Amino acid sequence: MPGVWIFAERNDLALELLTVAGGLASQTGVKVTAIVPDQGDQADRCIAGGADEIVLLSPLGEDMSLAAWIPVIAAEAKGADPDILLIAATARGKDFAARLAARLDTGLCSNCTALHREGDGTIVMERLAYGGTAVDRVSCSTRPVMATIPPRTFAPAPADTGRSGEIRKLPLPPSTPVRVIARKTKDRSSQDITEAKTVICVGRGMEKEEDINIARQLAELVGGEVGCTRPISEELHWLPDDLCIGLSGVQVKPDLYVGLGVSGQIQHVTGIRGVRVICAVNKDENAPIFQAADLGIIGDLREVMPRLIEELKKATGR
Amino acid sequence: MPNIIACCKWVIDEAYIRKGPAGALDFSTVDYKISDYDRNAIEEAVCLKGLHGGSVTVLTAGAPEAAKGVKDALSRGAEQAFFAGDPSFNQLESSQTAAILGEIIRSRIPYDLVICGEGSSDQYAQQVGPRLAENLGIPCISYVQKLTIGEDGRILAERRVEEGVEVVEAPLPVLVTVLPEINTPRIPGVRDTLTASKKPVVAIKKEELPPVGAARLQTMGMTATRMERNCEKFAATPEEVARFVGALQKLGVIS
Ligand SMILES: Cc1cc2nc3c(=O)[nH]c(=O)nc-3n(C[C@H](O)[C@H](O)[C@H](O)COP(=O)(O)OP(=O)(O)OC[C@H]3O[C@@H](n4cnc5c(N)ncnc54)[C@H](O)[C@@H]3O)c2cc1C
Repeated sequence: MPGVWIFAERNDLALELLTVAGGLASQTGVKVTAIVPDQGDQADRCIAGGADEIVLLSPLGEDMSLAAWIPVIAAEAKGADPDILLIAATARGKDFAARLAARLDTGLCSNCTALHREGDGTIVMERLAYGGTAVDRVSCSTRPVMATIPPRTFAPAPADTGRSGEIRKLPLPPSTPVRVIARKTKDRSSQDITEAKTVICVGRGMEKEEDINIARQLAELVGGEVGCTRPISEELHWLPDDLCIGLSGVQVKPDLYVGLGVSGQIQHVTGIRGVRVICAVNKDENAPIFQAADLGIIGDLREVMPRLIEELKKATGR
Repeated sequence: MPNIIACCKWVIDEAYIRKGPAGALDFSTVDYKISDYDRNAIEEAVCLKGLHGGSVTVLTAGAPEAAKGVKDALSRGAEQAFFAGDPSFNQLESSQTAAILGEIIRSRIPYDLVICGEGSSDQYAQQVGPRLAENLGIPCISYVQKLTIGEDGRILAERRVEEGVEVVEAPLPVLVTVLPEINTPRIPGVRDTLTASKKPVVAIKKEELPPVGAARLQTMGMTATRMERNCEKFAATPEEVARFVGALQKLGVIS
Protein backbone atom coordinates (compact mmCIF):
# COMPACT_ATOMS: atom_id res chain seq x y z
CA MET A 1 0.00 0.00 0.00
CA PRO A 2 1.56 3.32 -0.97
CA GLY A 3 2.31 5.75 1.82
CA VAL A 4 4.94 7.76 3.58
CA TRP A 5 6.03 6.49 7.00
CA ILE A 6 8.00 8.25 9.66
CA PHE A 7 9.58 6.95 12.83
CA ALA A 8 11.07 9.10 15.60
CA GLU A 9 11.85 8.32 19.21
CA ARG A 10 10.91 11.84 20.30
CA ASN A 11 7.87 13.97 19.55
CA ASP A 12 9.76 17.12 18.49
CA LEU A 13 11.63 15.05 15.89
CA ALA A 14 8.44 13.34 14.70
CA LEU A 15 7.00 16.78 13.95
CA GLU A 16 10.09 17.73 11.94
CA LEU A 17 9.79 14.55 9.87
CA LEU A 18 6.09 15.24 9.34
CA THR A 19 7.03 18.46 7.55
CA VAL A 20 8.87 16.47 4.88
CA ALA A 21 6.50 13.51 4.90
CA GLY A 22 3.46 15.75 4.45
CA GLY A 23 5.01 17.44 1.41
CA LEU A 24 5.94 14.15 -0.25
CA ALA A 25 2.61 12.48 0.52
CA SER A 26 0.52 15.32 -0.85
CA GLN A 27 2.32 15.12 -4.22
CA THR A 28 1.00 11.62 -4.81
CA GLY A 29 -2.09 11.80 -2.62
CA VAL A 30 -1.02 9.08 -0.21
CA LYS A 31 -1.35 8.79 3.55
CA VAL A 32 1.22 9.62 6.20
CA THR A 33 1.83 7.08 8.95
CA ALA A 34 3.74 8.07 12.09
CA ILE A 35 5.30 5.38 14.27
CA VAL A 36 5.98 6.90 17.67
CA PRO A 37 6.33 5.88 21.32
CA ASP A 38 3.07 5.93 23.25
CA GLN A 39 3.77 8.89 25.49
CA GLY A 40 1.43 11.66 26.63
CA ASP A 41 -0.39 13.31 23.75
CA GLN A 42 2.10 12.18 21.06
CA ALA A 43 -0.63 10.71 18.88
CA ASP A 44 -2.80 13.85 18.88
CA ARG A 45 0.16 16.08 18.21
CA CYS A 46 1.30 13.97 15.27
CA ILE A 47 -2.21 13.97 13.82
CA ALA A 48 -2.31 17.75 14.19
CA GLY A 49 1.11 17.81 12.49
CA GLY A 50 -0.19 15.99 9.43
CA ALA A 51 -0.21 12.25 10.18
CA ASP A 52 -3.23 10.25 8.97
CA GLU A 53 -2.40 7.12 10.88
CA ILE A 54 -0.56 6.72 14.17
CA VAL A 55 1.12 3.49 15.15
CA LEU A 56 1.89 3.61 18.85
CA LEU A 57 4.75 1.72 20.45
CA SER A 58 3.79 0.76 24.00
CA PRO A 59 6.36 1.59 26.69
CA LEU A 60 9.06 -1.08 26.88
CA GLY A 61 10.37 -2.65 30.07
CA GLU A 62 13.22 -0.70 31.71
CA ASP A 63 15.81 -3.19 30.52
CA MET A 64 14.69 -3.26 26.90
CA SER A 65 16.23 -1.16 24.16
CA LEU A 66 14.42 0.54 21.32
CA ALA A 67 15.97 -2.03 18.96
CA ALA A 68 13.50 -4.62 20.29
CA TRP A 69 10.95 -3.04 17.94
CA ILE A 70 13.02 -3.72 14.81
CA PRO A 71 11.47 -7.13 13.94
CA VAL A 72 7.95 -5.82 14.62
CA ILE A 73 8.35 -2.75 12.45
CA ALA A 74 10.11 -4.74 9.74
CA ALA A 75 7.09 -7.08 9.64
CA GLU A 76 4.71 -4.09 9.49
CA ALA A 77 6.69 -2.54 6.63
CA LYS A 78 6.85 -5.81 4.73
CA GLY A 79 3.11 -6.18 5.07
CA ALA A 80 2.13 -2.63 4.15
CA ASP A 81 4.91 -1.93 1.62
CA PRO A 82 5.18 1.88 2.06
CA ASP A 83 6.92 4.00 -0.60
CA ILE A 84 9.07 5.99 1.77
CA LEU A 85 10.27 5.54 5.35
CA LEU A 86 11.94 8.46 7.14
CA ILE A 87 13.65 8.05 10.50
CA ALA A 88 14.99 10.71 12.87
CA ALA A 89 18.79 10.47 12.97
CA THR A 90 19.37 10.12 16.69
CA ALA A 91 22.00 7.54 17.70
CA ARG A 92 19.31 4.91 18.32
CA GLY A 93 17.41 6.02 15.23
CA LYS A 94 20.41 5.60 12.93
CA ASP A 95 21.14 2.14 14.32
CA PHE A 96 17.47 1.24 13.99
CA ALA A 97 17.28 2.50 10.41
CA ALA A 98 20.35 0.62 9.18
CA ARG A 99 19.13 -2.66 10.67
CA LEU A 100 15.64 -2.14 9.33
CA ALA A 101 17.05 -1.35 5.87
CA ALA A 102 19.02 -4.61 6.03
CA ARG A 103 15.88 -6.55 6.91
CA LEU A 104 13.90 -4.88 4.14
CA ASP A 105 16.83 -5.28 1.76
CA THR A 106 16.61 -1.68 0.66
CA GLY A 107 18.78 1.43 0.41
CA LEU A 108 19.14 4.00 3.15
CA CYS A 109 20.41 7.54 2.74
CA SER A 110 22.11 8.38 6.04
CA ASN A 111 22.02 11.90 7.46
CA CYS A 112 19.95 13.17 4.58
CA THR A 113 19.78 16.96 4.51
CA ALA A 114 17.45 17.53 1.58
CA LEU A 115 15.13 15.43 -0.53
CA HIS A 116 12.67 15.99 -3.33
CA ARG A 117 10.67 14.09 -5.91
CA GLU A 118 11.72 14.45 -9.54
CA GLY A 119 9.23 14.62 -12.40
CA ASP A 120 9.60 10.88 -13.08
CA GLY A 121 8.81 10.07 -9.46
CA THR A 122 12.38 9.37 -8.35
CA ILE A 123 13.16 10.55 -4.84
CA VAL A 124 16.49 12.34 -4.89
CA MET A 125 18.24 12.61 -1.53
CA GLU A 126 21.27 14.69 -0.58
CA ARG A 127 23.97 13.81 1.88
CA LEU A 128 27.51 14.87 2.61
CA ALA A 129 30.50 12.80 1.52
CA TYR A 130 34.22 12.93 2.27
CA GLY A 131 33.73 14.63 5.60
CA GLY A 132 31.71 17.43 4.03
CA THR A 133 33.96 18.07 1.01
CA ALA A 134 31.14 17.10 -1.33
CA VAL A 135 27.40 16.75 -1.56
CA ASP A 136 26.32 13.35 -2.83
CA ARG A 137 22.92 13.10 -4.55
CA VAL A 138 21.53 9.59 -4.36
CA SER A 139 18.44 7.69 -5.37
CA CYS A 140 17.18 4.29 -4.29
CA SER A 141 15.85 1.67 -6.68
CA THR A 142 14.24 -0.59 -4.07
CA ARG A 143 11.22 -0.15 -1.81
CA PRO A 144 10.83 1.53 0.57
CA VAL A 145 13.13 4.49 -0.05
CA MET A 146 14.68 5.09 3.35
CA ALA A 147 16.48 8.08 4.86
CA THR A 148 17.60 9.21 8.29
CA ILE A 149 17.18 12.92 8.85
CA PRO A 150 19.27 14.83 11.40
CA PRO A 151 17.44 16.80 14.10
CA ARG A 152 16.62 20.42 13.13
CA THR A 153 17.01 19.83 9.40
CA PHE A 154 13.38 20.80 8.92
CA ALA A 155 11.05 23.04 10.92
CA PRO A 156 8.39 21.21 12.95
CA ALA A 157 5.06 20.80 11.16
CA PRO A 158 2.54 23.41 12.35
CA ALA A 159 -0.40 22.10 14.36
CA ASP A 160 -3.81 21.90 12.71
CA THR A 161 -6.06 20.73 15.54
CA GLY A 162 -8.98 20.19 13.18
CA ARG A 163 -7.38 17.11 11.62
CA SER A 164 -8.32 13.57 12.49
CA GLY A 165 -6.53 10.28 12.15
CA GLU A 166 -6.59 6.65 13.09
CA ILE A 167 -4.63 5.37 16.04
CA ARG A 168 -3.52 1.79 16.60
CA LYS A 169 -1.15 0.13 19.03
CA LEU A 170 1.46 -2.51 18.31
CA PRO A 171 1.81 -5.50 20.61
CA LEU A 172 4.92 -5.48 22.80
CA PRO A 173 7.91 -7.14 21.12
CA PRO A 174 9.64 -10.14 22.71
CA SER A 175 12.73 -9.38 24.78
CA THR A 176 16.14 -9.36 23.10
CA PRO A 177 19.54 -10.70 24.17
CA VAL A 178 20.74 -7.11 24.65
CA ARG A 179 19.62 -5.83 28.05
CA VAL A 180 19.87 -2.22 29.15
CA ILE A 181 21.20 -2.33 32.70
CA ALA A 182 21.59 1.39 33.37
CA ARG A 183 20.80 4.74 31.81
CA LYS A 184 22.89 7.69 32.84
CA THR A 185 21.90 11.17 31.83
CA LYS A 186 24.89 13.35 31.18
CA ASP A 187 25.07 17.07 31.70
CA ARG A 188 23.64 18.90 28.81
CA SER A 189 24.64 22.42 28.16
CA SER A 190 21.86 24.74 29.29
CA GLN A 191 22.20 26.80 26.11
CA ASP A 192 21.28 25.88 22.58
CA ILE A 193 24.20 26.85 20.35
CA THR A 194 22.19 26.25 17.21
CA GLU A 195 20.14 29.34 18.08
CA ALA A 196 23.05 31.54 19.23
CA LYS A 197 23.88 34.84 17.51
CA THR A 198 27.57 34.38 18.26
CA VAL A 199 29.51 31.16 18.83
CA ILE A 200 32.97 30.99 20.37
CA CYS A 201 34.43 27.61 19.48
CA VAL A 202 37.06 25.92 21.60
CA GLY A 203 39.54 23.65 19.78
CA ARG A 204 42.38 21.43 20.87
CA GLY A 205 44.73 24.40 20.65
CA MET A 206 43.41 25.35 24.10
CA GLU A 207 46.09 24.17 26.45
CA LYS A 208 44.10 23.21 29.53
CA GLU A 209 40.54 22.85 30.67
CA GLU A 210 40.67 26.09 32.68
CA ASP A 211 41.40 27.97 29.46
CA ILE A 212 37.77 27.43 28.50
CA ASN A 213 37.05 30.25 30.93
CA ILE A 214 38.77 32.60 28.51
CA ALA A 215 36.41 31.45 25.78
CA ARG A 216 33.48 31.95 28.18
CA GLN A 217 34.70 35.42 29.00
CA LEU A 218 34.88 36.25 25.31
CA ALA A 219 31.41 34.80 24.76
CA GLU A 220 29.99 36.91 27.57
CA LEU A 221 31.58 40.02 26.19
CA VAL A 222 29.98 39.63 22.77
CA GLY A 223 26.78 37.98 23.96
CA GLY A 224 27.43 34.50 22.58
CA GLU A 225 27.66 30.84 23.50
CA VAL A 226 30.61 28.47 23.71
CA GLY A 227 30.84 25.48 21.35
CA CYS A 228 33.69 23.08 20.62
CA THR A 229 35.35 20.64 18.23
CA ARG A 230 34.86 16.89 18.56
CA PRO A 231 38.17 16.19 20.37
CA ILE A 232 37.19 18.68 23.09
CA SER A 233 33.85 17.05 23.86
CA GLU A 234 34.72 13.48 23.06
CA GLU A 235 38.34 12.83 23.84
CA LEU A 236 38.99 15.42 26.52
CA HIS A 237 35.41 15.65 27.86
CA TRP A 238 35.89 19.33 28.66
CA LEU A 239 32.45 20.25 27.30
CA PRO A 240 29.22 18.27 26.74
CA ASP A 241 28.79 16.59 23.33
CA ASP A 242 25.78 18.63 22.34
CA LEU A 243 28.19 21.54 21.93
CA CYS A 244 30.26 19.70 19.32
CA ILE A 245 30.01 21.46 15.97
CA GLY A 246 30.41 19.59 12.67
CA LEU A 247 29.62 16.49 10.69
CA SER A 248 28.92 14.33 13.72
CA GLY A 249 27.74 17.22 15.86
CA VAL A 250 25.46 20.17 15.19
CA GLN A 251 25.30 22.78 12.46
CA VAL A 252 25.47 26.37 13.65
CA LYS A 253 24.45 29.51 11.77
CA PRO A 254 25.33 32.50 13.97
CA ASP A 255 26.30 35.93 12.66
CA LEU A 256 29.73 35.48 14.19
CA TYR A 257 31.86 32.39 14.84
CA VAL A 258 35.29 32.62 16.43
CA GLY A 259 37.41 29.44 16.41
CA LEU A 260 40.11 29.40 19.10
CA GLY A 261 42.81 26.83 18.44
CA VAL A 262 40.65 25.08 15.86
CA SER A 263 42.58 23.53 12.96
CA GLY A 264 39.59 23.65 10.62
CA GLN A 265 39.40 20.08 9.34
CA ILE A 266 36.60 19.63 6.84
CA GLN A 267 34.45 17.62 9.29
CA HIS A 268 34.33 20.64 11.58
CA VAL A 269 34.06 23.32 8.89
CA THR A 270 31.01 21.52 7.53
CA GLY A 271 29.17 22.59 10.67
CA ILE A 272 29.90 26.31 10.23
CA ARG A 273 29.14 26.72 6.55
CA GLY A 274 26.07 28.83 7.26
CA VAL A 275 27.87 31.32 9.55
CA ARG A 276 27.84 34.95 8.37
CA VAL A 277 31.33 35.92 9.56
CA ILE A 278 33.93 33.28 10.44
CA CYS A 279 36.96 34.27 12.51
CA ALA A 280 39.85 32.20 13.76
CA VAL A 281 42.84 32.46 16.05
CA ASN A 282 45.53 29.90 15.37
CA LYS A 283 49.29 29.90 15.74
CA ASP A 284 49.82 27.91 12.57
CA GLU A 285 49.45 30.17 9.56
CA ASN A 286 48.90 27.12 7.34
CA ALA A 287 45.99 25.79 9.40
CA PRO A 288 43.06 25.03 7.05
CA ILE A 289 40.74 27.16 9.19
CA PHE A 290 42.27 30.28 7.63
CA GLN A 291 40.95 29.21 4.24
CA ALA A 292 37.48 28.90 5.71
CA ALA A 293 37.67 32.16 7.65
CA ASP A 294 36.79 35.73 6.75
CA LEU A 295 39.14 37.15 9.34
CA GLY A 296 41.98 35.30 11.02
CA ILE A 297 44.59 36.20 13.61
CA ILE A 298 47.83 34.28 13.30
CA GLY A 299 49.23 33.95 16.79
CA ASP A 300 49.44 32.10 20.05
CA LEU A 301 46.20 32.11 22.00
CA ARG A 302 48.05 32.94 25.19
CA GLU A 303 49.25 36.13 23.61
CA VAL A 304 46.21 37.00 21.51
CA MET A 305 43.39 36.36 23.97
CA PRO A 306 44.24 39.05 26.58
CA ARG A 307 44.65 41.58 23.77
CA LEU A 308 41.46 40.53 22.07
CA ILE A 309 39.45 40.76 25.28
CA GLU A 310 40.92 44.16 26.06
CA GLU A 311 40.13 45.52 22.61
CA LEU A 312 36.62 44.07 22.68
CA LYS A 313 36.01 45.70 26.06
CA LYS A 314 37.04 49.04 24.59
CA ALA A 315 34.93 48.55 21.50
CA THR A 316 31.78 47.36 23.24
CA GLY A 317 32.16 49.65 26.26
CA ARG A 318 31.70 46.73 28.66
CA MET B 1 39.33 -16.47 25.02
CA PRO B 2 37.50 -14.45 22.46
CA ASN B 3 38.13 -14.54 18.73
CA ILE B 4 37.74 -10.97 17.60
CA ILE B 5 37.25 -9.61 14.10
CA ALA B 6 37.96 -5.94 13.44
CA CYS B 7 36.56 -4.65 10.15
CA CYS B 8 38.30 -1.82 8.37
CA LYS B 9 37.99 0.21 5.19
CA TRP B 10 40.73 1.69 3.02
CA VAL B 11 39.50 5.15 2.06
CA ILE B 12 40.49 8.26 0.17
CA ASP B 13 42.08 10.75 2.54
CA GLU B 14 39.61 13.60 2.19
CA ALA B 15 42.29 16.17 3.03
CA TYR B 16 43.81 15.59 -0.44
CA ILE B 17 40.67 16.09 -2.50
CA ARG B 18 40.93 19.29 -4.51
CA LYS B 19 38.01 21.31 -5.71
CA GLY B 20 37.94 22.14 -9.41
CA PRO B 21 35.80 24.63 -11.26
CA ALA B 22 31.99 24.40 -11.20
CA GLY B 23 31.78 22.06 -8.25
CA ALA B 24 34.06 19.41 -9.75
CA LEU B 25 36.08 17.18 -7.44
CA ASP B 26 39.68 16.46 -8.33
CA PHE B 27 40.90 13.11 -7.02
CA SER B 28 44.12 13.09 -9.08
CA THR B 29 46.46 13.74 -6.15
CA VAL B 30 44.69 11.83 -3.41
CA ASP B 31 46.30 9.55 -0.90
CA TYR B 32 44.59 6.76 0.99
CA LYS B 33 44.30 5.83 4.65
CA ILE B 34 42.61 3.39 6.98
CA SER B 35 39.32 5.05 7.83
CA ASP B 36 39.94 7.02 11.03
CA TYR B 37 37.56 5.26 13.39
CA ASP B 38 38.46 1.79 12.08
CA ARG B 39 41.81 2.37 13.76
CA ASN B 40 39.89 2.59 17.03
CA ALA B 41 38.14 -0.67 16.13
CA ILE B 42 41.46 -2.45 15.57
CA GLU B 43 42.98 -0.92 18.70
CA GLU B 44 40.03 -2.06 20.82
CA ALA B 45 40.31 -5.59 19.46
CA VAL B 46 44.03 -5.70 20.19
CA CYS B 47 43.54 -4.29 23.72
CA LEU B 48 40.85 -6.87 24.50
CA LYS B 49 43.13 -9.63 23.28
CA GLY B 50 45.82 -8.28 25.60
CA LEU B 51 43.40 -8.66 28.51
CA HIS B 52 41.67 -11.92 27.64
CA GLY B 53 43.83 -13.74 25.11
CA GLY B 54 42.15 -15.08 21.98
CA SER B 55 42.83 -13.75 18.51
CA VAL B 56 42.43 -10.65 16.37
CA THR B 57 41.63 -10.92 12.67
CA VAL B 58 41.20 -7.87 10.47
CA LEU B 59 38.77 -8.06 7.62
CA THR B 60 38.40 -5.76 4.67
CA ALA B 61 36.80 -5.68 1.23
CA GLY B 62 37.89 -3.18 -1.36
CA ALA B 63 39.88 -2.47 -4.51
CA PRO B 64 43.12 -4.48 -4.94
CA GLU B 65 45.05 -1.37 -3.84
CA ALA B 66 43.53 -1.79 -0.39
CA ALA B 67 46.24 -4.43 0.18
CA LYS B 68 48.25 -1.51 1.54
CA GLY B 69 45.56 -0.93 4.12
CA VAL B 70 45.63 -4.61 5.08
CA LYS B 71 49.33 -4.30 5.86
CA ASP B 72 48.71 -1.10 7.78
CA ALA B 73 46.01 -2.87 9.81
CA LEU B 74 48.34 -5.78 10.56
CA SER B 75 51.00 -3.36 11.80
CA ARG B 76 48.50 -2.24 14.42
CA GLY B 77 48.59 -5.54 16.25
CA ALA B 78 46.19 -7.90 14.48
CA GLU B 79 47.67 -11.32 13.76
CA GLN B 80 46.01 -12.22 10.50
CA ALA B 81 43.89 -10.65 7.82
CA PHE B 82 41.16 -11.67 5.40
CA PHE B 83 41.06 -9.50 2.31
CA ALA B 84 38.50 -9.57 -0.48
CA GLY B 85 40.08 -7.45 -3.19
CA ASP B 86 38.61 -6.79 -6.60
CA PRO B 87 38.44 -3.75 -8.89
CA SER B 88 34.65 -3.93 -8.71
CA PHE B 89 34.82 -3.63 -4.89
CA ASN B 90 36.14 -0.10 -5.16
CA GLN B 91 33.06 1.94 -4.35
CA LEU B 92 30.86 -0.54 -2.56
CA GLU B 93 27.62 0.64 -1.05
CA SER B 94 26.89 -0.21 2.60
CA SER B 95 24.49 -3.05 1.78
CA GLN B 96 27.05 -4.66 -0.54
CA THR B 97 29.93 -4.31 1.92
CA ALA B 98 27.85 -5.86 4.68
CA ALA B 99 26.88 -8.75 2.40
CA ILE B 100 30.49 -9.49 1.42
CA LEU B 101 31.86 -9.21 4.96
CA GLY B 102 28.98 -11.30 6.30
CA GLU B 103 29.58 -14.06 3.78
CA ILE B 104 33.31 -14.21 4.55
CA ILE B 105 32.77 -14.27 8.31
CA ARG B 106 30.08 -16.95 8.18
CA SER B 107 32.01 -19.23 5.89
CA ARG B 108 35.59 -18.70 7.02
CA ILE B 109 36.23 -17.00 10.38
CA PRO B 110 35.15 -18.37 13.77
CA TYR B 111 34.34 -15.38 15.99
CA ASP B 112 32.87 -14.18 19.26
CA LEU B 113 33.04 -10.45 18.72
CA VAL B 114 33.02 -8.22 15.63
CA ILE B 115 34.17 -4.61 16.00
CA CYS B 116 33.56 -1.88 13.42
CA GLY B 117 34.19 1.85 13.51
CA GLU B 118 31.18 4.06 14.12
CA GLY B 119 31.26 5.30 10.52
CA SER B 120 33.77 5.58 7.69
CA SER B 121 35.69 8.76 6.93
CA ASP B 122 34.56 8.85 3.31
CA GLN B 123 30.84 8.06 3.34
CA TYR B 124 30.09 8.23 7.06
CA ALA B 125 26.86 6.39 6.38
CA GLN B 126 27.20 4.51 9.69
CA GLN B 127 25.48 1.49 8.21
CA VAL B 128 27.96 -1.34 7.64
CA GLY B 129 28.18 -2.32 11.33
CA PRO B 130 24.43 -2.59 11.98
CA ARG B 131 23.77 -4.16 8.54
CA LEU B 132 26.53 -6.71 9.12
CA ALA B 133 25.03 -7.64 12.51
CA GLU B 134 21.70 -8.30 10.77
CA ASN B 135 23.47 -10.29 8.09
CA LEU B 136 25.12 -12.47 10.75
CA GLY B 137 21.95 -12.61 12.82
CA ILE B 138 23.67 -11.34 15.97
CA PRO B 139 22.93 -8.43 18.31
CA CYS B 140 24.39 -5.04 17.45
CA ILE B 141 25.55 -2.47 19.98
CA SER B 142 26.45 0.77 18.23
CA TYR B 143 28.16 4.02 19.28
CA VAL B 144 30.13 2.34 22.06
CA GLN B 145 32.50 4.43 24.16
CA LYS B 146 33.51 1.74 26.65
CA LEU B 147 33.68 -2.02 26.26
CA THR B 148 34.36 -4.82 28.75
CA ILE B 149 34.17 -8.59 28.43
CA GLY B 150 33.05 -10.17 31.70
CA GLU B 151 34.27 -13.50 33.07
CA ASP B 152 30.97 -15.09 32.16
CA GLY B 153 31.65 -14.31 28.49
CA ARG B 154 29.10 -11.53 28.43
CA ILE B 155 29.84 -8.16 27.02
CA LEU B 156 29.21 -4.92 28.84
CA ALA B 157 29.09 -1.78 26.73
CA GLU B 158 28.46 1.88 27.33
CA ARG B 159 26.80 3.37 24.29
CA ARG B 160 26.41 7.06 23.75
CA VAL B 161 22.92 8.30 23.04
CA GLU B 162 21.46 11.81 22.99
CA GLU B 163 20.51 12.02 26.65
CA GLY B 164 23.67 10.43 27.96
CA VAL B 165 24.81 6.85 28.22
CA GLU B 166 22.99 3.55 27.89
CA VAL B 167 24.82 0.70 29.63
CA VAL B 168 23.95 -2.57 27.94
CA GLU B 169 24.83 -6.20 28.41
CA ALA B 170 24.65 -9.09 25.96
CA PRO B 171 25.95 -12.62 25.54
CA LEU B 172 28.57 -13.16 22.82
CA PRO B 173 28.60 -13.25 19.82
CA VAL B 174 27.91 -9.56 19.36
CA LEU B 175 28.84 -6.83 16.91
CA VAL B 176 29.80 -3.43 18.29
CA THR B 177 30.58 -0.15 16.55
CA VAL B 178 33.00 2.09 18.43
CA LEU B 179 33.34 5.82 18.90
CA PRO B 180 36.80 7.41 18.63
CA GLU B 181 36.88 8.19 22.34
CA ILE B 182 37.02 4.50 23.26
CA ASN B 183 40.83 4.45 22.99
CA THR B 184 43.84 6.11 21.39
CA PRO B 185 45.04 4.09 18.41
CA ARG B 186 48.72 3.23 18.50
CA ILE B 187 51.08 4.62 15.90
CA PRO B 188 52.87 1.63 14.35
CA GLY B 189 56.66 1.70 14.59
CA VAL B 190 59.19 0.44 12.08
CA ARG B 191 59.28 -2.98 13.74
CA ASP B 192 55.50 -3.27 13.64
CA THR B 193 55.58 -2.54 9.93
CA LEU B 194 58.27 -5.16 9.37
CA THR B 195 56.48 -7.88 11.31
CA ALA B 196 53.23 -6.98 9.55
CA SER B 197 54.64 -8.16 6.22
CA LYS B 198 55.21 -11.63 7.71
CA LYS B 199 51.67 -12.04 9.01
CA PRO B 200 49.24 -14.27 7.10
CA VAL B 201 46.77 -12.64 4.72
CA VAL B 202 43.96 -14.80 3.36
CA ALA B 203 43.10 -13.36 -0.04
CA ILE B 204 39.56 -14.02 -1.22
CA LYS B 205 38.68 -13.67 -4.88
CA LYS B 206 35.40 -12.29 -6.04
CA GLU B 207 34.71 -15.62 -7.79
CA GLU B 208 34.89 -17.44 -4.46
CA LEU B 209 31.99 -15.39 -3.15
CA PRO B 210 28.32 -15.49 -4.11
CA PRO B 211 27.45 -12.75 -6.63
CA VAL B 212 27.23 -9.32 -5.00
CA GLY B 213 23.82 -7.73 -5.43
CA ALA B 214 23.26 -4.34 -7.01
CA ALA B 215 23.90 -1.23 -4.95
CA ARG B 216 20.72 -0.19 -3.17
CA LEU B 217 21.61 3.48 -3.49
CA GLN B 218 22.86 5.03 -6.71
CA THR B 219 24.90 8.21 -6.78
CA MET B 220 23.40 10.56 -9.35
CA GLY B 221 26.01 13.24 -8.94
CA MET B 222 28.55 14.66 -6.55
CA THR B 223 29.37 18.33 -6.20
CA ALA B 224 32.07 20.02 -4.19
CA THR B 225 30.77 22.13 -1.34
CA ARG B 226 31.73 25.77 -1.61
CA MET B 227 33.19 27.99 1.02
CA GLU B 228 33.94 31.42 -0.38
CA ARG B 229 35.50 33.47 2.36
CA ASN B 230 37.63 36.60 2.58
CA CYS B 231 40.61 34.98 4.25
CA GLU B 232 41.94 38.28 5.59
CA LYS B 233 44.82 37.73 7.98
CA PHE B 234 45.98 39.70 11.01
CA ALA B 235 49.10 39.46 13.15
CA ALA B 236 49.06 39.01 16.92
CA THR B 237 50.33 42.51 17.78
CA PRO B 238 48.11 44.88 19.82
CA GLU B 239 47.64 47.14 16.77
CA GLU B 240 46.60 44.26 14.55
CA VAL B 241 44.22 42.87 17.16
CA ALA B 242 42.66 46.35 17.42
CA ARG B 243 42.31 46.43 13.64
CA PHE B 244 40.67 42.96 13.80
CA VAL B 245 38.11 44.22 16.32
CA GLY B 246 37.52 47.25 14.11
CA ALA B 247 36.78 44.91 11.21
CA LEU B 248 34.25 43.03 13.33
CA GLN B 249 32.54 46.31 14.16
CA LYS B 250 32.40 47.31 10.52
CA LEU B 251 30.79 44.00 9.65
CA GLY B 252 28.22 44.69 12.35
CA VAL B 253 28.75 41.42 14.20
CA ILE B 254 29.67 42.98 17.55
CA SER B 255 27.95 45.87 19.25
C1 LIG C 1 33.91 10.68 10.39
C2 LIG C 1 34.45 11.86 11.15
C3 LIG C 1 33.57 12.76 11.72
C4 LIG C 1 34.05 13.86 12.43
N1 LIG C 1 33.16 14.77 12.94
C5 LIG C 1 33.62 15.89 13.54
C6 LIG C 1 32.72 16.91 14.03
O1 LIG C 1 31.50 16.80 13.93
N2 LIG C 1 33.25 18.01 14.62
C7 LIG C 1 34.61 18.20 14.76
O2 LIG C 1 35.02 19.24 15.29
N3 LIG C 1 35.47 17.26 14.33
C8 LIG C 1 35.01 16.11 13.73
N4 LIG C 1 35.91 15.16 13.30
C9 LIG C 1 37.33 15.33 13.65
C10 LIG C 1 38.05 16.31 12.73
O3 LIG C 1 38.52 15.59 11.60
C11 LIG C 1 39.24 16.96 13.44
O4 LIG C 1 40.07 15.94 13.95
C12 LIG C 1 38.86 17.89 14.57
O5 LIG C 1 37.88 18.81 14.17
C13 LIG C 1 40.08 18.64 15.05
O6 LIG C 1 39.77 19.37 16.21
P1 LIG C 1 40.67 20.59 16.66
O7 LIG C 1 40.73 21.60 15.58
O8 LIG C 1 40.14 21.03 17.99
O9 LIG C 1 42.09 19.94 16.96
P2 LIG C 1 43.43 19.90 16.11
O10 LIG C 1 43.21 19.44 14.75
O11 LIG C 1 44.41 19.18 16.97
O12 LIG C 1 43.86 21.43 15.99
C14 LIG C 1 44.36 22.20 17.02
C15 LIG C 1 44.80 23.53 16.41
O13 LIG C 1 45.19 24.41 17.44
C16 LIG C 1 46.34 25.14 17.03
N5 LIG C 1 47.04 25.51 18.25
C17 LIG C 1 47.70 24.71 19.12
N6 LIG C 1 48.18 25.43 20.15
C18 LIG C 1 47.83 26.71 19.92
C19 LIG C 1 48.07 27.92 20.63
N7 LIG C 1 48.74 27.96 21.77
N8 LIG C 1 47.59 29.06 20.09
C20 LIG C 1 46.91 29.05 18.91
N9 LIG C 1 46.65 27.94 18.21
C21 LIG C 1 47.12 26.78 18.71
C22 LIG C 1 47.10 24.20 16.15
O14 LIG C 1 47.88 24.96 15.23
C23 LIG C 1 45.99 23.41 15.46
O15 LIG C 1 45.64 23.99 14.22
C24 LIG C 1 35.45 14.05 12.59
C25 LIG C 1 36.33 13.14 12.03
C26 LIG C 1 35.85 12.05 11.32
C27 LIG C 1 36.83 11.09 10.71
